[in-house]
Amino acid sequence: MKILIVEDNERVARFVTRGLREAGHTVTHANNGRDGMFIAASEQYDVIVMDRMLPGDVDGLAIIEALRKSGNRTPILILSALNEVDERIRGLHSGGDDYLTKPFAFGELLARVDALGRRSVDRGAERTLQVGDLRMDLLSRRVTRGSRSISLQPREFKLLEYLMRHANQVVTRTMLLEAVWDYNFDPQTNVVDVHISKLRQKIELDCEPALVRTVRNAGYMMSDRE
Amino acid sequence: MNRLIRSSALTWALGYVLLGIAALAAFAVPLWYAWNVTIFSGRQEILRDDAQRLTELFRREGVAGLTGYINARVGMQIAGERTLLLTDNAYRPLAGNLAAWPRDIPDQPGMHAVMADIAGQPTHTLLVRTTLPGGYHLLVGRDLALFLPLERRFTSGLLAAVLFLFVVGVAGAILIRRQLLARVEGIRQTVSAIMQGDLRHRLPMARTGDELDTLSQTLNGMLDHIEHLIRGISNVSNSIAHDLRTPLAELRSRLEELALTRPPATETFAEIDAAVADLDRVMRIFTALLRLAEIDSGARRSGFVRVDAAAVAAEVVEFYEPAAELKGVEFSFQAAGEAAVAGDPVLLAQALSNLIDNSLKSVHEHGAISVRVACRADGAVEIAVADDGPGIADADKPKATERFFRGDASRGSPGVGLGLSIVDAVAKLHGGALQLLDNHPGLLAQMVLPLSSAPP
Repeated sequence: MKILIVEDNERVARFVTRGLREAGHTVTHANNGRDGMFIAASEQYDVIVMDRMLPGDVDGLAIIEALRKSGNRTPILILSALNEVDERIRGLHSGGDDYLTKPFAFGELLARVDALGRRSVDRGAERTLQVGDLRMDLLSRRVTRGSRSISLQPREFKLLEYLMRHANQVVTRTMLLEAVWDYNFDPQTNVVDVHISKLRQKIELDCEPALVRTVRNAGYMMSDRE
Repeated sequence: MNRLIRSSALTWALGYVLLGIAALAAFAVPLWYAWNVTIFSGRQEILRDDAQRLTELFRREGVAGLTGYINARVGMQIAGERTLLLTDNAYRPLAGNLAAWPRDIPDQPGMHAVMADIAGQPTHTLLVRTTLPGGYHLLVGRDLALFLPLERRFTSGLLAAVLFLFVVGVAGAILIRRQLLARVEGIRQTVSAIMQGDLRHRLPMARTGDELDTLSQTLNGMLDHIEHLIRGISNVSNSIAHDLRTPLAELRSRLEELALTRPPATETFAEIDAAVADLDRVMRIFTALLRLAEIDSGARRSGFVRVDAAAVAAEVVEFYEPAAELKGVEFSFQAAGEAAVAGDPVLLAQALSNLIDNSLKSVHEHGAISVRVACRADGAVEIAVADDGPGIADADKPKATERFFRGDASRGSPGVGLGLSIVDAVAKLHGGALQLLDNHPGLLAQMVLPLSSAPP
């Protein structure tokens, strides 16, 4: 994917740029708001990573608003040291697609960038999702694996749907908390892990190949590839 | 003296004295008026009647008859009697008790108030002058001096009352002021002592239950609160210092050791991972502290909506169910219908999640946790989490919601000691309170959110 990073802190920018390049992305870096605005407007990117506090007291949100006004629909991940709920809401209202608080783990950033990039590819309304022999019918809300029918609680269904929509991508626990439960706080116990393991018990019987993998220091990935 | 004049007590007292004088005047003026109108004019009437009668007598019986009558009447020597004088046309006295015709009496007939010589004394007299047929002149009058003592008594009574009011008012003001000033001075000294940094001082109380006492009591309450807050802040600073220093010290020694020993790559990476974990712990504390600050600031209140606490709780319970199941804990939930509050659903969920999380950490395997949402009779909503774990020692209960407080029971378990602080802050934000009770055995933690927080 082609990714634009607008970030003035050299060290953070270098760290993110290097990480994303290693993950196979093409990265452009702008270290101030004006350049960022100019580059974003002149070239098509798959994802923009936008810092909120830029040199010269420029708020990244203003740039996002300007981009959206000019018709630019590129998914934007906002980076910010402001973690208040209101700030997060403001960020998303201004046209940002996701919000990540500094400091962050690189795994979290990568997972979110991947998820955003994917969203720009398939925004169509699928009726079924499929990973390996696991099928999910979104209309009838039926889940089958091979010929076996799997019954899921509503929340388990939502969790599985999110994992399947992001198949072959890492999803972090925070992303799951936000997307499946709408919680933006940190439950101290590993509750998400327990939900995942319970879901795995339902979709992966002993004889069946595993579909959900734990990615160390990051989260989970659903995939039918080994 | 200058301070006395500026004193509010004196101003008030003078105000009351003036009010008293005004009240006296309001009492005296109508009385004076009534006196003048009824008694004085009644007296004039009597004098006129008298003059009339004497004129009749003169007409009927002539000079001799009237002279005889006047002499007889004067001879009776009735105290306060009439002043009578009959003269011929040259104003020579014929009969009566006036030695001579008063000099300054006007010529025309009628009622006159003049100074007349009565028994050699100039006396204020009210006279009716009548001219009789044949040029005779008749004076019928009354010595006004007779009423003078009464008037004088009335006036001096009035003056005495004013003087009394004034003296009592000023003396009272000085006394009140002295006492008030003594107490205000006490308050001032205490406040100065507090301003100089000694927060343990409290305002003196007279135990009379008066306004100053009530004020002192309120101020003392405020001081208690401020002292508690300040101690809280210093506790928090100490705790932050301690709780952040520990992982930071670990991190530092880890990195320094790496730089010094330069171990093989695999070991280095393991150490780096551990260092990142240390940092994450610091970040978690930071996030929790910032969240607390955000809640405490009350800013979230502007985003309050109508929330069904039962529905929020049902979701949180569902969220924790697998974790409880994994630990073999019996996890139950009961709610009786909708429990509406005005609030922030995410914060309420976080608060309940913290309570369940605490219980999950503290109960033994195969223990029991029950979550209950109920509307009380007074309309308040109760969100309670009860467990059969070790509970919190009574001595620790008041401290349990303090930041970074960790009871002995939880010392070994993960967590940063901010969970209950956040619950407490959320309950307070919603106008309620967090109560930590004994579940015999275990802990019963309940958030009580009052009715007033529910919008129509």
